[in-house]
Amino acid sequence: MTQFPDERGAEMRELFFETAQELLQSLNDEALQLERRPADIELVRSIRRIVHTLKGDAAACGFRELSHAAHQLEDALALESSSTHGSLAEVAFTAADTFGAMLAAYRRKGKLPSAAPLGKMIRELTQQPKTRKRSKKAVTVAVAPATWSEYETLAIENAVSRGKSVYHITAGIDPHCAMPMAARQLVLNALNASGEVLGARPEAGSPESAKRLELLVASHKSAESLTVQCRIPSVISRVSVELVKGAAAKAKKVPAEGPHRAAGAAQLSHPVAPESGEEHGEGAKALHAPALAENILRVDAERIDNVLNLVGELIIGRSMLQQAFTEFARHVPKEALRGRFSDAMAFQSRVLSDLQRSVMKIRMVPVEQLFRRFPRMVRDVAKQCGKEVELVMSGQDTDLDKSLLDVIAEPLTHLVRNAVSHGIESAEERVRNGKPARGTIHLTSYHHGNQVILEIKDDGAGIDSQKVKAKALEKGLLTSEEADRLGETEILELVFRPGFSTADEITEISGRGVGLDVVQTVLHRLKGSVDIETRAGQSTTFRLKLPLTLAIIKALMFRVEQRLYAIPLNAVAEIARARESDVHQVHNYEVLQLRDQVLPVVRLGRAPSPEAAAGSGKIFVLVIAMGERKLGLIVESLDGEEELVIKALDDQTVATDLISGAAILGDGRVVLIVNLPAIVDRHSKSRPQAAEGIVSGILLSHADRKSVGPGPAEVHP
Amino acid sequence: MTPVRVLVVDDSALMRKLIPQILQTDSSIEVVGTAMDGNFGLRKIEELKPQVVTLDLEMPGMGGIEMLKEIMRRHRMPVIVVSSHSTQGASVTLQALSLGAFDFVAKPNDVSARMPQIAEELIGKIKAAAQSRGVIVRPVGEARRSGQKAPIDAKRAPTKVIAIGVSTGGPQALQYVFSQLPADFPGTIVVVQHMPEGFTEMFARRLDEMCAIRVKEAQSGDVLLAGRALICPGSRHLKVKRLPLGDVAVLSDEPRVNGHRPSADVLFRSMADEFGPKGLAVLMTGMGDDGAQGLGAVKAAGGMTIAQNEESCVVYGMPKAAIDRGFAVRVVGLDVLANTLQAQCMSDRRSIFGSEPGESGKATGAGRD
Repeated sequence: MTQFPDERGAEMRELFFETAQELLQSLNDEALQLERRPADIELVRSIRRIVHTLKGDAAACGFRELSHAAHQLEDALALESSSTHGSLAEVAFTAADTFGAMLAAYRRKGKLPSAAPLGKMIRELTQQPKTRKRSKKAVTVAVAPATWSEYETLAIENAVSRGKSVYHITAGIDPHCAMPMAARQLVLNALNASGEVLGARPEAGSPESAKRLELLVASHKSAESLTVQCRIPSVISRVSVELVKGAAAKAKKVPAEGPHRAAGAAQLSHPVAPESGEEHGEGAKALHAPALAENILRVDAERIDNVLNLVGELIIGRSMLQQAFTEFARHVPKEALRGRFSDAMAFQSRVLSDLQRSVMKIRMVPVEQLFRRFPRMVRDVAKQCGKEVELVMSGQDTDLDKSLLDVIAEPLTHLVRNAVSHGIESAEERVRNGKPARGTIHLTSYHHGNQVILEIKDDGAGIDSQKVKAKALEKGLLTSEEADRLGETEILELVFRPGFSTADEITEISGRGVGLDVVQTVLHRLKGSVDIETRAGQSTTFRLKLPLTLAIIKALMFRVEQRLYAIPLNAVAEIARARESDVHQVHNYEVLQLRDQVLPVVRLGRAPSPEAAAGSGKIFVLVIAMGERKLGLIVESLDGEEELVIKALDDQTVATDLISGAAILGDGRVVLIVNLPAIVDRHSKSRPQAAEGIVSGILLSHADRKSVGPGPAEVHP
Repeated sequence: MTPVRVLVVDDSALMRKLIPQILQTDSSIEVVGTAMDGNFGLRKIEELKPQVVTLDLEMPGMGGIEMLKEIMRRHRMPVIVVSSHSTQGASVTLQALSLGAFDFVAKPNDVSARMPQIAEELIGKIKAAAQSRGVIVRPVGEARRSGQKAPIDAKRAPTKVIAIGVSTGGPQALQYVFSQLPADFPGTIVVVQHMPEGFTEMFARRLDEMCAIRVKEAQSGDVLLAGRALICPGSRHLKVKRLPLGDVAVLSDEPRVNGHRPSADVLFRSMADEFGPKGLAVLMTGMGDDGAQGLGAVKAAGGMTIAQNEESCVVYGMPKAAIDRGFAVRVVGLDVLANTLQAQCMSDRRSIFGSEPGESGKATGAGRD
């Protein structure tokens, strides 16, 4: 497509797709603004600039259709009449969609979507209502827009002043005429005999000239006689003669098949083009100029990941060094070099931490990149549903790991869409309940400890937990016995169960549940969580909690059956010590009395023998907070905190979702990272039956089956 | 030779990558940096000291026109505008030229297909810009900017037909010269300005607004009227022709001459053929040598030939080619060109007035052959 070598051309196109996507986003943003402030000329300029850049870039990459469509819009936007047109925002939205579809088609080399609807809108934009009528009339007149040149005009006047009449003769050359070029000469000869040919077009020899002939002839004769002169059988198919200007008032107009021309010579015309050259950017600094920094490098995410991996290796190296040093210090406690080693290592460690933070920062992008798409989406969905919804966003500058951002985009979109379509009530219903007709959705993002929180809050009717419960029972997701035991929060969480709800049932239960299980699955995969908070008749809040990054975590290590495991430290709310005898059984669940709370617990290892269970053997309980729920993990011993570089494990190595990854310690030992959401899930879903007894040793059983664990070689990435 | 240091200013990330790639195919050009808007651009000029700036005019934040004004105020370095085809684009580009931009390169709509030509054009202009003494922004003469012009008198025959050929630096120079001509200027002017299609109409309109004489883009059959200048439309050739009722401009689509359409040589040759000793041809600032041979033809036919002098040229290429070959009867500075033209138009009336009209006498190199 381009003149560049393939490789470079491909690189250019890739860059184009990327920047074009950003341009379209800006286009959507500006269009939204314009919808609110339709007369803002600054916004129109900004839109035109965006379209302009898109046009230029598309042309440079050889995407002509896109470039052409953008060009049309750009030119239309330069017209004052269209820039103040009420439907401009609508056109901009359509343009963004059309361009987007074209981009997608280019990218997958598919069939281009039609730009015709957009073209039609643009044309409507450039035609003002009053001129529309006139242009219709004009069409009938100006089929043959033959305007005479200055010299021809001069010649007409000159001829008229000499008492001649000037005629405009249009002759069609017979398509069967063997020598169309000679036909022209025949007509000219005939007319030269009875008058003066002032001008002829089209130019002799041009392809058009073989089909028709237009002449400007000054003559004393009448139109009728000229018509007769021109009628050369089997050469000329039709003739029309019109008086342009003449003294001969008696010369009658010949009824001509051809179009009528207004009598009178064309004026010395001075082309008038639309006014467009107003001072560009004069004193008009864009108020909302994007606060983008220069010197932005576009780097392949893969390259950054490579650096991050190397940093990970370095961190392992640091642990190795530290362990070696500790041992060294034990062997030669008196060595004077120890102090210097220790200083050097402390220094290295600090630099390494900075390096790690810096690399992590590279991967961080503001959630704004994700939020940007929502204003347009909320507008569109609200329009579809016939609702009035305002989106209020805050915390757009909160940073999040890019890979997380990409994965979270879909669930978040889903939740926002749901909030508009099902969360917010119709305007009538809202007014009936004493609320403002316009609903509000708050989209908020902030850092909380080592996590990023994304909140979607709507001021709709809320979720009726009784209805949720009823639905779950009906669906057979739980027994009525279980249902009675569930607290409010747990009932709400039922909406995340797969198969809880389908589209046609939405409205009955105030409309939650479609695909919410997907939302939860994604979040668990990201080691995050989602919870719901609802107040009847007032609001519903979905809160997504995400780790800052996926790659490196601060972890708490512990042992189960002598094997080493770890969980993210930020998930640990508390570490408690207890005795075996403190663990009780309630409804086949094990619980622990912790101060004034009853905490459900999960045994990661084997259940103790009945003797041991009654005894006073000490156990550690890790209190985990997942969303609103707390759970205790019973482990044998703790093994300290460590920064772990997570290595993914493929399905070949581990067949359970209870383990989400592994890490290598400084001394080469392998630690398995426990997938907490999966554990919690397992706990809440499992329906212990009396015969089987208490759920226990869940880690162990899987580990045994797949023999994961002890040998570093097995899980080495 | 050390390479020409170029700064690329464009708000499109794609162009900031594409333009340097194009330029780097020529070893005598070095792109020292890129900037995404005027503010960054100005900072980078301070920092990197480029010799030439390529500038996109449509940018958010500090736009191209504002940046250009600043460059002209502070640095006076040559700026090449990279502009696109649109009504708006042409208008802003011409504004930039009148503010002192060195030249512009238009991105046609099929830019990807014509990349090699555009690359060549851009590289050529950058090299010329690096060697140029720069565009001197001259205040537009005291011509009335008030819109009301008397309708042109179609009956008044011009005393002289003046053909002008000009390229780089032309928009500025023509604006300067035309603005000094009075509304009752007795001669008529036909101009070949190297400029792509789509820009010439806007160019003519701007000149018309700025000057007392009438200026319009030429159409085939336009009569050469006193007090009016016709600008040849881009991508066509312009010739003059004598007809019984008056002299006219004729447009044609013949192939490019010297790589140009319009070509000054085509115009000048028709001038020599049709007007012989009554012809007057002026070759002004510009790259290359278009018009030099044509100027020779006018001279050979006994007509008057004038070349712009080196000091006042933005690029001393075309006039030099003519002067070196001895085709220029006179060599004149831009300052006195308007006066010289007026004097030339009067010279036919010398007998009527009975006295030598003032020729300001300042014409540099007058009489040089």
